[in-house]
Amino acid sequence: MNIATIWRPMISTGWPGGLPLAACLLLFPLASHSVSRAPTIKLFPTTVLEEIKHTGHVAQEMESGLQSVIGQLDEQQKLYIESKCEGNEGDPGCEQISRQLGKSYLEMLQIMGDRLPDMETAVNATSASLEKRIRKELGQKNTSWTLQEMLIGEATGAREEKRPALRGRSGMRLSDRFRQYYNLVAHSGGQSNSSLAVIASDIYLDMQETSHLIARTQEEITRATLMEQLNQSFGTITPEMQEVVAGVKTILFGEDNSVIPMEAPPSLQPDQEYESPLTL
Amino acid sequence: MKKISKGRTVAGIAFMTITATLLVACETTPERSAVCSPPKGTNLDQAISKTRFDMETGCEGHFDSYFDNLLAIAEGDPKKENKAVFSDFLLWANNEGLLSKRQARQMYSRYFGVKYVSLASDYSVCSQTCPRQDEVMRAMRQELTDKEQGLLKISDDRRTYYRASQLFQESELVLEAACEACGPDE
Repeated sequence: MNIATIWRPMISTGWPGGLPLAACLLLFPLASHSVSRAPTIKLFPTTVLEEIKHTGHVAQEMESGLQSVIGQLDEQQKLYIESKCEGNEGDPGCEQISRQLGKSYLEMLQIMGDRLPDMETAVNATSASLEKRIRKELGQKNTSWTLQEMLIGEATGAREEKRPALRGRSGMRLSDRFRQYYNLVAHSGGQSNSSLAVIASDIYLDMQETSHLIARTQEEITRATLMEQLNQSFGTITPEMQEVVAGVKTILFGEDNSVIPMEAPPSLQPDQEYESPLTL
Repeated sequence: MKKISKGRTVAGIAFMTITATLLVACETTPERSAVCSPPKGTNLDQAISKTRFDMETGCEGHFDSYFDNLLAIAEGDPKKENKAVFSDFLLWANNEGLLSKRQARQMYSRYFGVKYVSLASDYSVCSQTCPRQDEVMRAMRQELTDKEQGLLKISDDRRTYYRASQLFQESELVLEAACEACGPDE
């Protein structure tokens, strides 16, 4: 709010009590200073936004490349179970199903092997950019007390604003997660510092976890590819195969746990809040 | 004869004066508490009166246990007005020199405020808080329990408790991210 916005209507209508105009002009700079907002913390410059968007696109490409082969794997596994092939590997029909499973599995590993490095690069780039901003804006420019005040919204005067949902995007596709992050941040022009801090922290920690998961999966892929190539000659389905497929699904589609919702607010009580002089 | 009776009169007056002085002195010196034991019962106002008396008569070293006892008694009758009661008591304690202003504020905020005194610090998150991150989070968790007592069980103020609980979760998330970003060298 600038000085003109404050003083123009007052001059036109006359200051109550008849104070001279010069006194009004002296008072207004103090008034405008007292309602000025705290500086917005710079957690999401354009570069970080673009990196989040790019990571989302890479995730989407990986998902579309893998979607059909994972669907195929699921179908073949279902057929294997329904045909009661477990313990019956000698049966020619079961042997054929398990070879096809193995082939699909190898195909999945190959696609993952090709796409994961790009995914890893994109995730790490986003993570590194955010890390720098968080270290500077939250870790170095704040004490834990001022950080708390920022979260509680006193610096900007924001009180009962809508809070962003915290961690817990399990069960969500990777590309959807990044799309959600992008939307949260791109439309964060009106959001307070406290919301930006929470969103940035959420994204950063998610990136860290995803990065670790990708790195572990990449290590597994090389080994799993070799093992499966050997297994092709025997036509067996190993528990490891199932674990690797499960791991891929975790990266792409999230875990199967339901999101634990935050405690719902109690119904609002009528306000006659006591304010102690001892309140910090 | 006259001299002897005059001397006796003076001695008598002196004796009576000294006796009277001693009697008055005994009345104005408050009786010191024989034993410092926190008040029992369920009436908070009576408990606070007894606490004030005991604090004034030599039990100031037991302030913390008396305060804990008052909190337990207040749980028996949860209502919004209890916040003001405890605020007044802590202000009184400050006026009596039992607590500093800072101590009184911290004590009040610990139980009845949204903010966490466990997060009080003078230096940056990276340099002071992160090296003690586990310790800080433990202290915050304990403080959340104290707020549950003060806000829910004593003041029946669910809205403020919800805000404190939400602040705990957000602080935990943001501190985890900040300390991860600060790295081990900071």
